[in-house]
Amino acid sequence: MTHHKETFANCVIEVKDGTHLSINGKVIDYEYDKESNKWSSRYLPYTQYDSILEMAQAIAQHTVEFSSIKD
Amino acid sequence: MAIRKDANTLNPNERAEFVDAILALKAAGIYDRFVLRHANAIMNAIHRSPAFLPWHRRFIYDLELELQRVSGNPDLGIPYWNWPSGEADAAMWRNDFLGGNGDASGVVRTGPFQAGQWTVVNASGLPSGPLMRTFGQNGFPTLPTQTEIDQVMAITPYDSPPWNMSSSPSFRNQLEGWAGPNLHNRGHVWVGGSMLPMTSPNDPVFFMHHCMVDKIWHDWQARFPNQDYLPVVGGPFGQNLTDPMDSTPSGQIGSRPIDVLDSAALGITYDDGTTIPQPTIPLLVVDANPEQFSIGAPGETDIFQFQVAAFGSHTAFTTGSSDTFMTLFGPNNPAAQVAFDDDGGENLNAQITRNLSAGTYYLRIRLFSSNSTGNYAVGIRSNNNIPTPIPELTVDGASINAAISTANESDLYRLNITDDAIYTFQTYGTTDTFMTLHGPNSQIPVIASNDDGGVTLNARIRQQLTAGEYFLRIRHFSPIGTGFYSIHATRE
Repeated sequence: MTHHKETFANCVIEVKDGTHLSINGKVIDYEYDKESNKWSSRYLPYTQYDSILEMAQAIAQHTVEFSSIKD
Repeated sequence: MAIRKDANTLNPNERAEFVDAILALKAAGIYDRFVLRHANAIMNAIHRSPAFLPWHRRFIYDLELELQRVSGNPDLGIPYWNWPSGEADAAMWRNDFLGGNGDASGVVRTGPFQAGQWTVVNASGLPSGPLMRTFGQNGFPTLPTQTEIDQVMAITPYDSPPWNMSSSPSFRNQLEGWAGPNLHNRGHVWVGGSMLPMTSPNDPVFFMHHCMVDKIWHDWQARFPNQDYLPVVGGPFGQNLTDPMDSTPSGQIGSRPIDVLDSAALGITYDDGTTIPQPTIPLLVVDANPEQFSIGAPGETDIFQFQVAAFGSHTAFTTGSSDTFMTLFGPNNPAAQVAFDDDGGENLNAQITRNLSAGTYYLRIRLFSSNSTGNYAVGIRSNNNIPTPIPELTVDGASINAAISTANESDLYRLNITDDAIYTFQTYGTTDTFMTLHGPNSQIPVIASNDDGGVTLNARIRQQLTAGEYFLRIRHFSPIGTGFYSIHATRE
C-alpha cells in the first residue's frame, strides 16, 4: 500500500508511502509494534490494530475529533 | 471516608445522589476538566506503563472529592462496576442510573446522560455530540469473569522491565489488559463508543470502570503486602516511585506514585473488605524427582520455594518441551533476585546453577512467550554438596584470563581483603564487560557496579574496602554477548 486514499465514516483517510497517515488532512501520529505487528494510536489508547488502515478507520469512526454523529 | 460500593447494589437514593452529583459537576464545567485532563495526558505516560494504576487512582480520587463537595456527603464513594455481574441487563444500566446501550447508531437515548441532556467534549473542550455506546460490538462480546480476575490477582510482581505493554510477569500489565485475560482494556472496548478514545471519561461509567480497576489493585496490595510498586528507580521518567506523574496537578495529596499507594491513608473503603489469602507456595524438595506443573493460561507465572540446608552448589532446572524462563530469589527474601535464565538447560529449558547459602529460596517460572501455554517439570538438585570452586583473585597478583562463553553467563571471583585500603578492580581486552562488587562476606549485597570505567569498553571499580571476603561478578554488557577478557586487582 504505497498510496491509499478513501472516505470512511465521512472522513478522508490518506496513507502515503504506506506510513504517513492523515485523516481530513490532519497528520496522525501512531506507534507500530514490530514484535506483535500491530498498530496503535494515542487517539485510541485501549486497542491495537492489524493494519494502519484498520486503525485509521477506527479513529475516524470512534474519536470525537473526527466522528460526525450529532444529537 | 469514601465508601465505594458495587454499583449494582446501590439503592434508589444512592443512585440518585451519584447521578445528581455528576450532573452538578457537568453543569459547573468541572466534569469536563476531568475529561481534558485525561484526554491531553501523554498516552504512554498514563497507559501501557507502571504509572497506569497510581495515575488513575489519583484521577478518580480527585473526582470523588468533587462529588462529595457538591453532594454535601463526605462518605459518597464512586461505585465500582463489578464486571462479572455488570452485563447489559445489570441494574447499573437502568434509566435511573447510567442509562443503557446506544441505539442502532450508537447514540445513548436512555437515562440521565442521554442525547439532548449530556454532550461529550473533544480534547479541546468543544461540544462534540451525544454520548455513544455499542455494547459488545467491538471484538469483545463479554466482560471479564471472576475466574479471569482471580487469575490476574495471583500475578506478581507489580511490574517488570521493559515497563510497557510487553512487561511479563507484571500484575499491572495483566490488569491493564496487554497480557493475560485482558481486564481493563476489555471493559473500555465492551462499552465501545465514547469509551474508546482518550476522551473516554466523557462517559460516567469510566469512573466506575476505573473504580473496579482500583479495587483489584487495592485487593492485590492487601493480598501481597511485600510486593511493592515498581520501578523504584531506573524506569522512564514519570514511572518511578517518586517521579511526578504526567497531567496530575498539585492537590490535597502529591502527584507521585508513592503518594497514592495506601488507599486507607486516602480514606478509601471498599464494601467488600475481605482480603484473599496469599496462595500457598508449593515446596520443592531438593534432590527429589522433578514435579509436573503447567502454565495453563497465557502470561501465567508459577512460584515455588525450596530449602537449602547448608552452603553448596545447587541446580534449579526444568524439563519438558516447553520454552521455560526461570528467576531465582533468596535467601529468605522473595524479592532479592539471585539469577535468571532462559535456555541454560536441555533444549529450551531453563537452568540455574549457583553456590547457595542456607535459607529459603524462591523460584519463579513462566514461559518465554507470554502468549503460550504448556507443561513442564521442575526440580532442584544439590551437586553433591560440593561448592563449585570460586577462583580467587589475588590483590597485586597475576591477572586471570577468562571468557564469557555463552549468553547470560557471568563469572564470579573471590577476594580475600586483609587490610582497610582503596582497591581497584579492572578488566582488560576487547569484550564489553560489566562488573559488580559484592560483600563483605556475602555474594548478595552489591557495593558497586561499573560498565565502561576502564579502557575502551572495559569495566573498572575503585573502592575503599574494609577487611573481609568480597566477590566480583563479571558479565557481558549485552545479555547475548560473549568474549574473552582478563581481570586484575590492585591495592593503592
